[in-house]
Amino acid sequence: MALEQNMEVSKPQCPSTGTKKRLSLRYIFVLEPELIGFIHMRRTRVDKVNAELVTLTYGTIVAQLCQDYDSNYQDVNKQLDKMGYNIGMRLIEDFLAKSGVGRCANFRETADMIAKVGFKIFLNVTPTVTNWTSDNTQFSLIFEDNPLADFVELPDDGRAQDELWFSNILCGVLRGSLEMVQMQIEAHFVSDVLRGDDTTEMRVSLVRYIEDEMPPEEE
Amino acid sequence: MAAPPRHATMQSISNGSAAQGNDRPQTQQSQHVQQSQQSPGLRVPSNRKTIYDRHLNRSRNAELSRASFAFLFGEMVTYAQRRVTGIQDLEKRLNEQGYPLGLRLLDLLFYRSTSTSSSALSSSSTSSSPPNRPLRIITLLHLIHGPLWRLLFGRAADALEHSVSPDTPNEYMITDNDPMVNTYISAPRDMSMLNCAAYVAGIIEGVCDGCGFETKVSAHNQPTELWPSRTVFLVRFGDPVMEREKVLERAGVK
Amino acid sequence: MPDNNRGVFSLIIINKAGGLIYQREFQAGLRKLSTNDYLVLAGTFHGVHAITRSITPKIPISQPAQSPATSSTGTAAPAASGYSYPNPGVPVSGLDYLETDKFRLTCFQTLTGTKFLLFTDPLTGSVDAIIQKIYELYADFVMKNPFYQIEMPVRCEAFDRHLGAWLRGRM
Repeated sequence: MALEQNMEVSKPQCPSTGTKKRLSLRYIFVLEPELIGFIHMRRTRVDKVNAELVTLTYGTIVAQLCQDYDSNYQDVNKQLDKMGYNIGMRLIEDFLAKSGVGRCANFRETADMIAKVGFKIFLNVTPTVTNWTSDNTQFSLIFEDNPLADFVELPDDGRAQDELWFSNILCGVLRGSLEMVQMQIEAHFVSDVLRGDDTTEMRVSLVRYIEDEMPPEEE
Repeated sequence: MAAPPRHATMQSISNGSAAQGNDRPQTQQSQHVQQSQQSPGLRVPSNRKTIYDRHLNRSRNAELSRASFAFLFGEMVTYAQRRVTGIQDLEKRLNEQGYPLGLRLLDLLFYRSTSTSSSALSSSSTSSSPPNRPLRIITLLHLIHGPLWRLLFGRAADALEHSVSPDTPNEYMITDNDPMVNTYISAPRDMSMLNCAAYVAGIIEGVCDGCGFETKVSAHNQPTELWPSRTVFLVRFGDPVMEREKVLERAGVK
Repeated sequence: MPDNNRGVFSLIIINKAGGLIYQREFQAGLRKLSTNDYLVLAGTFHGVHAITRSITPKIPISQPAQSPATSSTGTAAPAASGYSYPNPGVPVSGLDYLETDKFRLTCFQTLTGTKFLLFTDPLTGSVDAIIQKIYELYADFVMKNPFYQIEMPVRCEAFDRHLGAWLRGRM
């Protein structure tokens, strides 16, 4: 009976996080408002820095890679993707912790989440989600603006515009962060205004949902 | 030093205000005269969304997530770490990454101080000459302590000091109580000497070099109870700079 | 605020594979378990958590063919066996909390599979908000630290410092 009563008390949802965790009623009214205010403030006020510092720092990274890989742009693309992957695996926790969003129901929802919440938070742009395949596993992100490429002109060596994907780090970021929430995807750029194309477009494909790796029966 | 002069290490990716292509040979330009006049060899989008069609001040007050910077900078540190032999080597590499930024930011600073102060200057009857680059050490350091820090971090640095030791009159210190680049970084215990703000030291070095002040800049941990990541940037000017400084002093140049 | 943190005893973070990556007490003089006991605790909790997920009751789907109206929502998993979790819109969670007369252990599992275990007094309120804040600090001072290797033990001085300061109510 005592347990039953406890369950009753623990029903109310926590309005600040939207999770359905149990809280003791006695304390909700005493302490919650203050904390809610604090969390709400953190949520809405994303810490900012000068955009040019970010842009120039990214440019420095790409320039350094071009130098280290002796302008072998295929290798630079690969390395950028790898760096993005490392970032993505970490960035996803920041995204989840600060946005407070839950799991997406399907890949279309994931695409919108990436474009409207993810890119908005981290790059302050909202790429357009479009060109879905009929099975809802592939889409394109069209970038109207790309802060990473502000001020950028590719080297005029007759190759960079054909071989280098300047913003390739973003493909890796998507791959890394989605892998951490059990989605294996593939992402690559198909056009870039830096190459003289009229749009900047990234193609994203769902490979598979990664099954829960915990085998409950075995151990 | 076996390394080539630092300017030579700059890449041709013009991620900065210093546009490439102004110094291209004349012949090449005439061959491609029918194409885009700024960048003969490069294709441009039909809507001409190139760096030349944007105002340089477009992103002047733009902001981006601090997390994005932290992740990029973190990855820069991780990448640099793979190829180094020790802490000093790592700091040297971070310094080298910041250096080209300093050169570019210097142009941006001048460009912006010109465009904003020209209106103020034009009221005076003298010819509207743009503000000169700093000639004296103190002017240069104030440029770094104030405008450069504000451009990068949104506030001035916390202190600017001159060495009191008679042996090192060429040493100056710029202090940042809480360097933004180190906010989220905890160096492992066995690397407690490391300060990743070596990147910022490189930026300072780039600015000084760009102004014609040969300098070495390094970042040092000077924690206090209140400011655990307090950092001192030690700026050491080269002998030629110090000699020139004396000459300028005698000549009364400000 | 001062009341709030008095009841927070300790924190454990468990990685995706069930390994202990962080353990810290927030009150001086709290009796410590041995390192090995903490490792066992982490591994055991991880296993039990997985079991509680797998034993979540499944109920038979009442109307198997409910016309194509539902096909627009992609949520419906391929109902292989004709069974479904109650309230299929809400994902299956594992053990959320465990309580005795003397303490409460609250588990928060992120979507990436990391678990935060907070030991508190049973009467401590706002546990969710505290864990949420801890998650944010983890995202900042662990995930953004280039010297932290993912899935490895957390040794980040800035994380310790900010976590301690926040819990002491200084921030």
